[in-house]
Amino acid sequence: MTVSTGLQIDSVSFSYAVDPVLESIHLAIPQGQFVCLVGASGSGKSTLLRLIAGLQPPTTGRLAWNGQAIAGPGLERGIVFQDYSLFPWMSVVDNIEIAIAKAKPEQPRHERREEAHDCLRHVGLESAIGKYPFELSGGMRQRAAIARALALGSPLLLLDEPFGALDPINRARLQDVLLEIWETSVPRKTIVFVTHDVDEALYLGNRLIILGATPGRVIADLQLEFSRTQDRRDLFESPSFQIKREKVAEILAEDTLRLLLPA
Amino acid sequence: MKSDALTLSTNIFPKENTLDSAPPSARPPTPPSHLRRVMDAALIWVLILALWFIAAAYFPLGSNPLLPAPGITASALWESLPELWVGTLSSFTILIPGFALATVLGVVSGLLVGTSPELQRSFFPFARVAAPVPPTVYIPYAIAILPTFKLSAIFVVFIGAFWPIFHNAAAGAQALEQRYRDNARILGLSGFEYRRRVVFPAALPHIFSGMAVGLGFSFILLTVAELFGANAGLGRFVQYYADFAGYPKMVAGIIYTGLVTFLAMTLLDTVKHRALFWMK
Repeated sequence: MTVSTGLQIDSVSFSYAVDPVLESIHLAIPQGQFVCLVGASGSGKSTLLRLIAGLQPPTTGRLAWNGQAIAGPGLERGIVFQDYSLFPWMSVVDNIEIAIAKAKPEQPRHERREEAHDCLRHVGLESAIGKYPFELSGGMRQRAAIARALALGSPLLLLDEPFGALDPINRARLQDVLLEIWETSVPRKTIVFVTHDVDEALYLGNRLIILGATPGRVIADLQLEFSRTQDRRDLFESPSFQIKREKVAEILAEDTLRLLLPA
Repeated sequence: MKSDALTLSTNIFPKENTLDSAPPSARPPTPPSHLRRVMDAALIWVLILALWFIAAAYFPLGSNPLLPAPGITASALWESLPELWVGTLSSFTILIPGFALATVLGVVSGLLVGTSPELQRSFFPFARVAAPVPPTVYIPYAIAILPTFKLSAIFVVFIGAFWPIFHNAAAGAQALEQRYRDNARILGLSGFEYRRRVVFPAALPHIFSGMAVGLGFSFILLTVAELFGANAGLGRFVQYYADFAGYPKMVAGIIYTGLVTFLAMTLLDTVKHRALFWMK
């Protein structure tokens, strides 16, 4: 509560009816961190992301960004969904432009178009500018979704299993696109990335938060310090990476086992 | 038991069992050839034409047959084409304004009501009572109170087409998927911009269904209204020759009206496919 910059989550609980989905979540995420949220299904990791995005209010507790309470969606918190961040009736560039128009209403139209092109170039999508979402592959659609989040200029990026539906090659490519965006952003963007893929979480994040299931709560909070300068395959095979992966798998397995055993 | 074992063994080899009555899923159905499709589509037409020829040949009803032979009807249609064309233009000066007004007002009010719970609370109880009133009952009154026949016919076409378009637009707005709502909220879209750029395109499939129903009603109401007091038009043409027992021309008029309706529906369908190209 003393930290006023970054994301503050204070004793947040959420329930749809009686059963709690999330129970007393306390987290402080300083600006510039790349946080990965992992957990079994039912751990409420997507729900937590929706609460941060302001799409739903918490049942109890308080969320704040840079000291400002989160009361609804805001342009400072861009979000990328798994497969539906774009409006299918708008071309890719129109999808980006509508975001820019909201983020910078005073900007003249021709500059807006130029900026949309820049955003698309940033994610390697200049070839698909005039296309519609149905004409794009899953990987290209997610590139466009990231470009839209960039267009909003949000200092906090929320991603809900954004690469979950992609094939391994596209997944790896987009992970690197995202890392490059994060590493080159000034000031450094804060990222909260939900995934169920432990390797992905370990590769991307510099902090890993594990949520336990039913009800969702934080069961582990790990600092990650892998050097991404080395080759991805070397990193995955390095002993330090393997040890971390074992540890995460163990924590997740323990939590799943707890559910199967009678109390 | 033995019989049980037997059924079991046949179930293991279903091919032997069901070779004659293979379900469609067992053998991948080969798509019918182009010729076959054309023949299937033509079947009912050929049957009706044959029946028509036979009926006209075996029930001769003097010089003014109630059942004009196909050849007589065809030449009556050819002869009447200029008159039918004038009638079409006259009918369209009623149909187009009525249907266009119903589309604009139906879509705008439907989207407004569909996105506002407050408006729904006042509009839906009214619509539930007002919409089912058969629009044909308004015709005599409309003719009585409006200054010209044309205006009253436009009004009746409008009423008939309005309700299905309104209902479908409102339903489309209400059925807006959560993901589009989420995206609109993330971008901070609201008010007119939200309705124009998100709700309207998302509701377009519903709106087009409403327009198709509304266009069908428009043709019904147009021709019925013309029976009352028009001096030109498609419905008027049929009524006029019926009064003089000019059955060949009357039947020609019916066929022609059917054709025009079909063409209008096809046009709407083409527009729909163009507008909904992004749905894949």
